[in-house]
Amino acid sequence: MGNRLLSMLVASAAFGVVMSHAEAKTVIHMMHQGDPGWVTTYGEVAKRFEAANPDVDIELIYAPHDAYNEKFSAAVMSKQLPDLMELDAPFLANYVWSGYLQPIKPLIDQDILDDMTESNVAQGTYPIDKDLYAVGLTDSSVVLYGNRKYLEAIGARIPKGVGDAWTREEFEGYLEKLSKLEGVKWPIDTFRGYGIKTEWITYAYGPILQSAGCDLIDRKTWKSVGTLDSDPCVDALTMMQKWVKNGWVVPQSSGTNQFFAEGHPAALAFGGHWFYAEAAASMKDDIVVMPLPKFGPKGASPNGTWIWGITTASEHPDIAGKFLSFMLKDKQYRDYARDDSAYPGLKSFAADSPLYSAGGPMALAFEQASKTAVARPPHPAYPTITSAFMGAVDEIFNGGDVKAALTAAAEKIDEDIEENDGYPPFDEQQ
Amino acid sequence: MSDLVISTFETEAKRERSAIGSLRIVQTACIFVIALVIVSPLFMLVIASLKDDRFQILADMGSFRAFWVSNPTLSNFAEVGNLSGELAFGRYLLNSLIILATTVGAGLIINSMAGFVLAWGSLRGRALILSLVIALYVIPQESIIMPLVIMVSRAGITDTFTVQIVPWVASPLYIFLFYQFFAQLPKELFEAAEMDGASVFRIYRSIFLPLSLPALATVSILMGIESWNQYLWPILVTQTDYARPISVAIATFFGQDSIYWDRAMAASVLMMIPILALYLVFQRWFVSSFVGSAVKG
Repeated sequence: MGNRLLSMLVASAAFGVVMSHAEAKTVIHMMHQGDPGWVTTYGEVAKRFEAANPDVDIELIYAPHDAYNEKFSAAVMSKQLPDLMELDAPFLANYVWSGYLQPIKPLIDQDILDDMTESNVAQGTYPIDKDLYAVGLTDSSVVLYGNRKYLEAIGARIPKGVGDAWTREEFEGYLEKLSKLEGVKWPIDTFRGYGIKTEWITYAYGPILQSAGCDLIDRKTWKSVGTLDSDPCVDALTMMQKWVKNGWVVPQSSGTNQFFAEGHPAALAFGGHWFYAEAAASMKDDIVVMPLPKFGPKGASPNGTWIWGITTASEHPDIAGKFLSFMLKDKQYRDYARDDSAYPGLKSFAADSPLYSAGGPMALAFEQASKTAVARPPHPAYPTITSAFMGAVDEIFNGGDVKAALTAAAEKIDEDIEENDGYPPFDEQQ
Repeated sequence: MSDLVISTFETEAKRERSAIGSLRIVQTACIFVIALVIVSPLFMLVIASLKDDRFQILADMGSFRAFWVSNPTLSNFAEVGNLSGELAFGRYLLNSLIILATTVGAGLIINSMAGFVLAWGSLRGRALILSLVIALYVIPQESIIMPLVIMVSRAGITDTFTVQIVPWVASPLYIFLFYQFFAQLPKELFEAAEMDGASVFRIYRSIFLPLSLPALATVSILMGIESWNQYLWPILVTQTDYARPISVAIATFFGQDSIYWDRAMAASVLMMIPILALYLVFQRWFVSSFVGSAVKG
């Protein structure tokens, strides 16, 4: 009996020691999205960090890509914001304005800050205080992919760099010629297959407006009426509507692989950097990477991707920053990103990526980001801006009146800004 | 003369039989077409899960090639099965089954009790309560989901099985279904039991509940499908794989840049099997209970 009592006491004491040790651990919650490959990679990085820091426990919170904003809203409402979170770059201004993110510079390693590309800094910077709130290993861009055989068949000029991108006249002329070429079912895939529930339309088509000489919103007065429905924007969207009406664009129902599908029915593709790996695997030497055409006075291209921020709710921002620095330098994490043809946001990662380093097949895309990248409007009203613009483009592509659709979208954006009293201090920026 | 009459009758009878035969052929053809339309998405799902090229699945979707696979493979199922750690599908499947069984089990008891009390109970304001139950049914789940998130968060039950079961156990629709069923049963049953001295709970448990097999089966099927397909709610109120259902795990295949149709289809087939089995089991019970009650008269 005495022995049993003694064993119970020893067991209780041991249990108590284990429990007190477990309780002593600092838990860092990290919210992220991503496909199975990324989920596994984050899990492995967390394990490596925990092994190097036994007093820290990294708890991963997965939120599906298509329900990420809902999950974020629920976390805000239930006061369960994670310490570290992945966020889509154009939503950064909204999050900072709402008070959810804290400046990240003091929390992460200086060598990472020094390593960031200009575009990466731009996507993580809040325009009011010019402070950095998020950082990422990666960035993104869109280029014009071409099928060499078709381009040679119509005698198209193949640009060698961003400086000699096709003009609007050249581009439309080639589209017309390609539409008559045997074997070409559609001259171009603008990836309508991504639909209107992703950021694709604002991300990829916004630069067409900026290149044509207008924008989604005036970035000084933060008014959309007079900008989004201005003549250059109406002209640019009328041009795109014409491509659709002429049957030059791959329809939404045909998916997002017609450029490299059997028989190569699409001659050109206005596609993201992530499209390269799959297209090149199928097309081999026939794939040509070109800069986006100049639709007006200047070239423009998109940037921005999912990056990492530390929330104001974090009780251990220093440890969250330490983990983020660890992750951005982690070799296996970088290897996975490189194999996934991720677009570099850190210079060291670019140098280590054969695809984007000098002479690489996507080096032109990397050059394009440094010369023509325009971030999406860094304004707290961005969720409304993107939703209104996507709705307008969808209406236009389905045959709606261009001017009326853009005016309605611009009014919706301005109404949201007015309803929020101009999102001070954005209203004082003019 | 009589031969002529008989011959005319025979001819007319033949014509009638032929007309009935033609009608049956048309009816059968219509049923076959309708069945084909209903079954074809499931068939397409299974076929797609056996293809090894996700782009081919997408390219085939708009044509009859969606219903054909030349080189079937189980590699997608193997890949889904091999996922481990945060993506271990076995864990998610088990979670879904626990949530389903508990929700349906508790739901049958709670909703049937509520339906019985509304039909036969002696509480005041029954009609008003019934009107409120019906009124609650028209409120869409999405409109109350955020306040509900705050409530469960304050209750401290996020990231648990409880948070995925308790809010959905009582449902206006199922209470109303049970109410309707119980209200149709003869008044004499209740009165006879009451005269024998049975309590209200005893009458519910020993007489009315055993008679309500069709309602129990219907509610089980509907509730089971609803619970199995929950997607947004588990995302909002759970953080880890501890209690998350399989519907959330499948969402990982719908990435930012790419959709992994091959694995998503295989995972969807795996997800479909338990609920299909449940449906078949309950459907048999549902039919047999009807037959049984008809024979007993």
